[in-house]
Amino acid sequence: MKNLFIPLLACIACAVIVSFTAVSVRSTQDLNLENDKKSKILLAAGINSENINEEFEKIEIIYVNFKSNELVEMDEKYDHLKATLKSDLSTAVPKEKDIAILKRMENVGPMYLWFDKEDNIEKVVLPIRGYGLWGTLYGYISLASDLNTINGIEFYEHKETPGLGAEVENEEWKNIWKGKILYNKDGGVELKVVKGASSNKYEVDGLSGATLTSNGVSNMIEYWLGPEAYGPALKKVKETFNS
Amino acid sequence: MKPLTFKESKQLLFAPIIENNPIALQILGICSALAVTVKMDVTLVMCAALTSVVALSNFFISLLRFYIPENIRIIVQMTVIASLVIIVDEILKAYAYEASKQLSVFVGLIITNCIVMGRAEAYAMKNPPIRSFLDGLGNGLGYSFILIVVATIREIFGSGTFLGLQVMPDSYPTNNFLLLPPSSFIIIGLMIWVIRSISTSQVEEDENPLKAHTFKPLVAKKEASNG
Repeated sequence: MKNLFIPLLACIACAVIVSFTAVSVRSTQDLNLENDKKSKILLAAGINSENINEEFEKIEIIYVNFKSNELVEMDEKYDHLKATLKSDLSTAVPKEKDIAILKRMENVGPMYLWFDKEDNIEKVVLPIRGYGLWGTLYGYISLASDLNTINGIEFYEHKETPGLGAEVENEEWKNIWKGKILYNKDGGVELKVVKGASSNKYEVDGLSGATLTSNGVSNMIEYWLGPEAYGPALKKVKETFNS
Repeated sequence: MKPLTFKESKQLLFAPIIENNPIALQILGICSALAVTVKMDVTLVMCAALTSVVALSNFFISLLRFYIPENIRIIVQMTVIASLVIIVDEILKAYAYEASKQLSVFVGLIITNCIVMGRAEAYAMKNPPIRSFLDGLGNGLGYSFILIVVATIREIFGSGTFLGLQVMPDSYPTNNFLLLPPSSFIIIGLMIWVIRSISTSQVEEDENPLKAHTFKPLVAKKEASNG
């Protein structure tokens, strides 16, 4: 009897204490996660600042409906990643088009825009994600005012191998991206992570020992900046604001 | 049992730092000592996390020691330890987000740290709560002492900084080997050497001393066949 009763009691007591702690610090943790994401958006855009919220107020957030390719208004609390879990806010990606292995994609995604004094686009940040080797990589990519030159790239969550695939966080590697060109003359996504060293503006040096992670990064850029995701909306934004 | 004297509590608290260090003498908990000693700030968070887990798990297990059935004691101990580790992890995620991101799985792995289980099993199951708490605290401090020394060496000579501040001149070529886990093996080894040459009582007796080879027949046979 004692063998059954004591462990049961210990389990219940521990469970209550653990869940109480988890629930009471949840809001602080969520705030940390949100600030971390915001700081990565700023870092991708090349802004390294302590005052995250202050810098974030300078951003214009526009939402893109990927089905109609229209720019739409959304509630401030809309979370495009949580939307992928709801059937009415997301759609399944057909297998032949699912190069980034997303399975489900949100119907509406955010676009973070910076404008200069003449109301021309200064830079833009877009969320990207896709499968690497061990799991999905989540990050942001930033484009310069021509919406074609890479301004920066950041990853905030991934499960890649430390020292190999996890080198997507390497500062030097991220610096290589700056100034690379995204679209070719026909408007298709040309930018790729290649094996070994890059030879032109459309290529980024591969990560040694992490071919699958490198391919994953290539695929997610091709998908998210291509016709299925932000591609058409970027063109539209360019016509609307930079004419 | 006699009431706890000041001298005794001092002994409980400080003996594990040099005389009976969990890493240097008992060679326990090496894994995290290798993994989290690249940067000092992360190391300090890890030390605080482990010390609080050992001290509190010792305290609670000691409180429960008369009620824990002998044959399932490990399971009950693990429940207590695991709960404490999850609580520490949650608190770190809320109040030390950057450090907890860098520590990643190593906070969760405190559950499997031999020092925690070792102290619970060896001390807390047989001694009253306050003594156990002090013993846990002392062992946590002993662990922290080694980690802090290793992290100091690794950060200063590996990246030329201390607590993130530049301490080496710009011309100093950083030693990348010290940023890799094997370097702490060497540093811990050297520390054990120093500690044992100061307090010689820690030197273990050689269990299998080398002896001169005395077995002859095989050699003789070989010579015979050659000839």
